[in-house]
Amino acid sequence: MTSIRSVRAAAAGICVLTVAVAGCSGGGSKASTKTSGVTITVALATPPPPKAALAAFTKQTGIKVNWTNIDWDSLQTKIAAAATAKTYFADATDVDWSRVGQLAKLNWFYPMESYVDTKALAKQMPQLSSFTNGGHVIGIPYDASFLVTTVNKNLFAKAGITTMPKTIAQYTDDLKQIKAKGVVQYPLNIPFAAAEGLSTYWYQTTAAFGGPILDGSGKPQFTSPSSPGYKAAEWMVDAIKQGLVPPGNINVADTQGQQTLMAKGNVASTFGDYSGNVGSLYDVPSSSSVVNQVEYLPTPGVNGVGPNMSNPDGIGIPRQAKYPNAAAKFIQWFTQAGNQADFAGANGPSKVMPGYFLPSQLAGLAELTQKGKLIGGAELAHLLKTSAKPVFPQGAPSWYPEFSRAVYTNLHAAATGSMSVGAAIKAIADQANSLASGS
Amino acid sequence: MTVGTTALGERTEPSHSPSPRRGRTWIQRIDVLPYALVTPLALFIVLLALVPAGMTIVQSFYRVQPLDPPNRFDGFGNFRRLFADTAIRTSLENTALYMVVGVALSTVLGIAFAVTLQRRFFGRSLVIAVLILPWALPGVVEGLVWTGIWDANTGLLNSVLTSFHLINHYHVFLGQNRLLTIFAIEIVQVWQITPLSALLILAALQNVPDELYESAHLDGCSPWASFRRITLPLARPGIAIAMVQALIATLNVFDQPYVLNGAAPTAASITEQTYFVSFQNLDFGEGYALSLLITVVTLVVSIGVVGLIYRQVEY
Repeated sequence: MTSIRSVRAAAAGICVLTVAVAGCSGGGSKASTKTSGVTITVALATPPPPKAALAAFTKQTGIKVNWTNIDWDSLQTKIAAAATAKTYFADATDVDWSRVGQLAKLNWFYPMESYVDTKALAKQMPQLSSFTNGGHVIGIPYDASFLVTTVNKNLFAKAGITTMPKTIAQYTDDLKQIKAKGVVQYPLNIPFAAAEGLSTYWYQTTAAFGGPILDGSGKPQFTSPSSPGYKAAEWMVDAIKQGLVPPGNINVADTQGQQTLMAKGNVASTFGDYSGNVGSLYDVPSSSSVVNQVEYLPTPGVNGVGPNMSNPDGIGIPRQAKYPNAAAKFIQWFTQAGNQADFAGANGPSKVMPGYFLPSQLAGLAELTQKGKLIGGAELAHLLKTSAKPVFPQGAPSWYPEFSRAVYTNLHAAATGSMSVGAAIKAIADQANSLASGS
Repeated sequence: MTVGTTALGERTEPSHSPSPRRGRTWIQRIDVLPYALVTPLALFIVLLALVPAGMTIVQSFYRVQPLDPPNRFDGFGNFRRLFADTAIRTSLENTALYMVVGVALSTVLGIAFAVTLQRRFFGRSLVIAVLILPWALPGVVEGLVWTGIWDANTGLLNSVLTSFHLINHYHVFLGQNRLLTIFAIEIVQVWQITPLSALLILAALQNVPDELYESAHLDGCSPWASFRRITLPLARPGIAIAMVQALIATLNVFDQPYVLNGAAPTAASITEQTYFVSFQNLDFGEGYALSLLITVVTLVVSIGVVGLIYRQVEY
């Protein structure tokens, strides 16, 4: 009996030790330069490419890919938690354009120029500049998302508008005409919910009014009532006060408005829409009642066509990656023009990556457009080449998330009428000044 | 002096036979096995709960900002800055409202459901199974489902109220009026937490002997009087536990306000602020301080509720 008990106790003790050692061992790992015979983890807020495509990559390189699809918010939390704890969680993961400044200052990602010829890539990827900070490229954009104005041409036509507006003044008059003629009760979609979509909408509207948000040192450029940023905020809030925007939009987020208002023909236009939405949402019969009615419009600016603000998704290599070189190989493959065209549907549905619409490489976009697989492709390619600009030409500041929260909470408050536009702008500017000065 | 047989058929020693333990040191006399078996769980709790909790307490007195290294002792600096922040103060008020509305509603509804389910009836098991469904759903999913109900442009509630000519035009339920927004959001959480409250109270009511109700009936007690004088007093342990679980849930509400109202200060909760401070501002020191604050408030209020409501019940 005693010996059996001793054996059981010893076995239990070994288990305890194993658990303890496993629990207490550090998560940190030394990076390996191996680029074959390894498995890398890719964590992005998007479904993976088709299995066959990943299998082809494995066959070509010897690198297996373990794809983890995590929602955007959770992914940002994981990136921060893992980097702070210096713990491995993925070999390649999301680098959002808005976090580039923060990530660069934190040094949480390897500089991509050490792995990829970013200078050569810049010619083919106009949005690479959004991922560059302090001379380092923090991530490689894998799509070409930017904000673009969409209009429901049928609703415009019903109001007798056949020539599309080229300036913001004409655009506003046209919206008023649509409302006056009773075509729709509320012709414009602005997502006033206190969320990131409201901030980006304001950046786009500010750009259309002809100005920047911040200067090179992070100082606000929108405090004067004659400044583009102030005028943009005033234009947006006036639009809801004047009944151009549905009153319920004070709590409608960007995608929600696109899906429930624009795609259902309840509104006639979205000033800051997602590039790709015409093909992926408005022309999809199962989710839209405005098929073939919506088109992209060059941004109506103050004196003509205005710019389009870039908000692409990027991918980078965290410092705790186990196989950074293998991850770099994957990123090169993932952002190749031909593969991007495949993912976006240039060569049949079997190669499509769900939710992927716009290649970040111009060659990929060209192939897609050439094959007629991208609705509005010619317009989008033109906009991407000529007018897509980074929101912050000097790179997003390291305190961007705090600034953005000040933008969307205060603009939301102005839309609800609980504060004036002037007070909202002052609150945003105060926050920007405080953050820029480091206090 | 007995000789017996164990369940396994082993012959046991007579009670007067010399114990094998006699003559061994106290260390040898300790049976290691139970300790060895319980140690993994104890380690699990210590490493994953107590150590992080201890670190949170310590770190809440430090400036911990990856954007502004190194970490440094800051006394009550994090707490001072938090209380000076209007957004934090507003979210504390919002959270207090969530707690009051949520605990009150879920307790009243929980008692109502428990009393209804106390007696056996045809389909009772099915009703309990359906009742528990909202509790099993993740908060984010519930938020999305209820977005379709509260939505001011295309929501179900506006549509139904308009169809019945109860309203002339669509109303904005979320985002415009602070109290209405908090109430509308808390309804969603109440929908989630009430099933557990009901089951906890029901469990307490299952122990109440039927004879008590029969005696009360014979003595001429009305159903309301029976409810007040028998059901409520005897359900107090269950009600106290149900209230504490509702309290913990409402003080930590995150998913519902985040999905239904974004980050708007009108209804932002304190846990939303913890998320923003920690993972957007990357100010972990303030995040730790806020977490500690929530824990202390939860603990104090829970102890208060237990002290006020809980009573030992004997039949």
